Amino acid sequence: MRRIAVTPVRVAGAALIVVAAAMAISAVVALLDGGGGAEGLFWSAVITVSVGTGLFFGSKVSPLADSALAFASVGWSWLAVSLAGTLPFLLTGVIPWVRFDDALFESISGFTCSGSTILSDFGSVSQGLLFFRSMTQWLGGMGLVVLAVAILPALGIGGLELIASEAPGPTADRLSLRVRDTARRLWLLYGGATCIVALVLFSVGMSVFDAVTHAFTTVSTGGYSPHAESIAHFDSFPIELVLIVGMLYSGASFSLHWHALTQGIGAYRRVSEIRWYFCLIAGAFGMLLWVNHGEIEWFQNLRESLFYAVSLGSSTGFGNSDYILWMPAAHVTLLVLMLVGGMSGSTAGGMKVLRLQVIFRYSFRELLRARHPNAVIPIRMGSTTIEEQVAAKVVGFVLLYLGLIVAGGIALSGLGVDPVTAFSGSVSAIGNVGPALGEAGPTNNYLVFPRAGRVVLMALMALGRLEVFPAMLMLVASTRGIAQLRRRRRLTHSTFSH
Amino acid sequence: MTPRPPVRARTSGFAQGLTGRLLAWIGSVIRTLSKGKIESAIGVTVGAVWVLSAPVFLVCSLADLLDGGSDFLPLLLTGAAVEIAGLLVVRLSSFPSTLPISRLFASVVCGALAALIAVTAAHLATGVAHNLDVALVEAAATITGTNASTINPELLSLGMLLFRALGQWLAAAAIIIVLVRVLPHLGVGGLDADGGVATRSARRLAPRSGSTMARLVTLYVALTGLLGFAFLLAGMPFIDSIVHALTTISSGGFSSRLGSIGSFDSAPIEWVAIFGMFVAGTSLPLIFRAMRRGDLHRFVRSVEFRVYAGLIATVTFALLAWSDGLPSAVSIRHAIFHAVSSISTTGHMAGDFNGISFGGEALLLVLMVVGGMSASVAGGFKVMRFMVLGRYIGRELRRSVHPTVVEKIHLGRSSIGETALARIIGELFLASMFLVPTVLVLSADGLDIEGAFTFAISIMSNVGVGFGEFGPLKHLGALGAVGHLAAALLMVIGRISITPVLVALGGIGEPAQIAIRRWRTARREVVIR
Repeated sequence: MRRIAVTPVRVAGAALIVVAAAMAISAVVALLDGGGGAEGLFWSAVITVSVGTGLFFGSKVSPLADSALAFASVGWSWLAVSLAGTLPFLLTGVIPWVRFDDALFESISGFTCSGSTILSDFGSVSQGLLFFRSMTQWLGGMGLVVLAVAILPALGIGGLELIASEAPGPTADRLSLRVRDTARRLWLLYGGATCIVALVLFSVGMSVFDAVTHAFTTVSTGGYSPHAESIAHFDSFPIELVLIVGMLYSGASFSLHWHALTQGIGAYRRVSEIRWYFCLIAGAFGMLLWVNHGEIEWFQNLRESLFYAVSLGSSTGFGNSDYILWMPAAHVTLLVLMLVGGMSGSTAGGMKVLRLQVIFRYSFRELLRARHPNAVIPIRMGSTTIEEQVAAKVVGFVLLYLGLIVAGGIALSGLGVDPVTAFSGSVSAIGNVGPALGEAGPTNNYLVFPRAGRVVLMALMALGRLEVFPAMLMLVASTRGIAQLRRRRRLTHSTFSH
Repeated sequence: MTPRPPVRARTSGFAQGLTGRLLAWIGSVIRTLSKGKIESAIGVTVGAVWVLSAPVFLVCSLADLLDGGSDFLPLLLTGAAVEIAGLLVVRLSSFPSTLPISRLFASVVCGALAALIAVTAAHLATGVAHNLDVALVEAAATITGTNASTINPELLSLGMLLFRALGQWLAAAAIIIVLVRVLPHLGVGGLDADGGVATRSARRLAPRSGSTMARLVTLYVALTGLLGFAFLLAGMPFIDSIVHALTTISSGGFSSRLGSIGSFDSAPIEWVAIFGMFVAGTSLPLIFRAMRRGDLHRFVRSVEFRVYAGLIATVTFALLAWSDGLPSAVSIRHAIFHAVSSISTTGHMAGDFNGISFGGEALLLVLMVVGGMSASVAGGFKVMRFMVLGRYIGRELRRSVHPTVVEKIHLGRSSIGETALARIIGELFLASMFLVPTVLVLSADGLDIEGAFTFAISIMSNVGVGFGEFGPLKHLGALGAVGHLAAALLMVIGRISITPVLVALGGIGEPAQIAIRRWRTARREVVIR
């Protein structure tokens, strides 16, 4: 059999196989539960695995590897996975085929760890499907491509670029000499954290199903809950505390956690980003406490403020009350949290604390330069210095990110959404948070947006999770790759004919 | 290719000469006055601002006397007090022999503060504003050209009405002078925070900055006269047309009526206002060049002008497309009015502002942030800077595919240096970092979230019109004292851009900074040992 040498196809195939496994597991859950939906999940697994193996074994890795190819691989595999993720919703009949875009919304929201849902009646959805929903977030959290690199030795591709273009943050941290080992370590840590959170949640009184699904969506900072009321369903302070710790942990860099595990707790002290991350959340918590003071009873205020500071600061989006009822100043605070998001190298979304740090340093350097025009000032972050090229990349990213938020906000309000909902929805979608302000609060679902508006949100979520650049360069890189392929074929033809 | 023959200024030689001589005379007066003991650029600036603004008080009090209003005496007395204080400060200080950049920044900021104090005093003395915070925010709105007010202009006396309009007009004229006279002294590290992108065209208008200034000021005065005459012809009463000409061409936005331009309910007046606002947002050097040579093609050749006009056209189209019902002559006129009023950061109102669709609202807000062309009197971030930022993003996108590519950013025929780029970006981020806490304060002080965001953005761009549940011009009235102070600060920062303010502040804290740095290095050395 002749295989085509296109890396993106092979990576997409591998990612599909992983998703098929998730569907199969969910089918088993559905069978055990007996609530139906097993058949639909089974058939979607079959379809996905056959397409996946077809793509995987029908292709091989291109001989040349560069960053453009990595971008294209990640971009295309996410597209494939998002399409496959619609199958369970459609085949179980939860979402009818005519509302294919809604299924796609739910799937993209899942894999990008946004946690915005269009499901309104959770009672009629089978447990297996809810399990699958949580699992999509779990898979998307650390990254499907990273997982594929970690567990599929036959994938045959490496390069830190591939991981770097999927992992959140401007740079990827090399944890070991081999990229596959790096990917393995990340997933090991991720899986370990999930198990611990699930166990603790179970021990504080959740059912097994709830514990596992919530652990999935906590560690991935996704925010899907099998209950319409989200965490408010349990109304238990211990559960909220466990989730707060879990979300805080997952909003911080996983490679940093790995260093801390292997080298001792001192690893945390060496990185200034984590200080900023905690300060930001603590500051927001204090602000919320202050603003809500006198509005809500003090213990309730403490509980809700802390929960939302962490939930939105780590871009998870769990809810334990309705913050729409809070004062406007609290909303502004929450919006800033949504915008910034977690640390780079974490599973959280948003702009990332590291970038905020770089932007701060960059701007203050300009102030210094305004006074001393000839000064040469490096951008320092704690004890390390950021290269100019990286700083320029970060600045470009932030500008593009803000531009996309504005564009999304304009598009949504042009479709008739009120500006607060539109712009906060745009921030929330590109930051992969979930709930927004206005009409799209934590107790509502995204059906408040018009159908075309949900398409805009889908695009924003995908752009946000893939950190804008890979998603935007996907097509550029692909057309270039096709042109290269053609040129090479022409070359081989001419050599044969001579 | 043959070199172009030098083209001489044909028109308005007399007026230019007059303005030039007047400006030179003012300069020499200040110079002769400032022979004091204290070498301080700040002192000279503050004194000069006070000395020069006192005649405005006099003119307005005379106007009030003729009209029979009640503000004759307070205005006259405040004017006299300001004049005396100014003379005193100027007399005590003298031009320093050396002028570090931070001092220059500080003197610009202090000049603005001096104007703020004088106008605040007038508001308090006439009893227009009863509290200090209201007077401060009204004064800030006057000197920054923002159409935000807590006062019903129809209840104002003629003297005060004229005073506020003249204040907006003169502040915009001062911006032109700063643009031409101060910025070149800052070398590349310009006050405009973009390394001279905005002022490059302005500086090359004439060999001497003094004559450039005279030309631009003459043009500004001529445009004001033209606009006033046009308003009169369009059927506006005499006093109203003076006030509106002053506040339109300066992109200020104060009006003599509660309902702004819309209260006249006349199509010709609105078209004249649209023209005036459009001109206010256009680069003055560009207008000068085009008019001097009678070469309208210059406008088309300017990339920035094309984008400026294109933005207005696009938003007008979107406003019409997103509104209910088919476009009529009235709705088209109002859509253009809203778009031009926003992008030129004037803030005049006409038509149904509350009836604008959500999408239109968002777009108008974007126009407010974008602001007018560089080297215009309009506020906002300026069209050219956003064009540069767009190119920057494009370059970063290309760089992520070709990591080693070296690329220069071009805008029209000129290329933008890396320093200038960094300045623009720094300015944008600093401004947004300042905006967020202010939004927080405004929302804590009584505005709803939509109102707080839109109003903060709007006053930072010196527009003054906000959206939300309060109606376009009611935001300032809904705020408390803290909100008023925050709004005043935001207006001033929006007008003179944030970098000079922070650098001037940094100049104040310099000794402390040096002490901290010494202490930190000492500590680091101890750790190393």
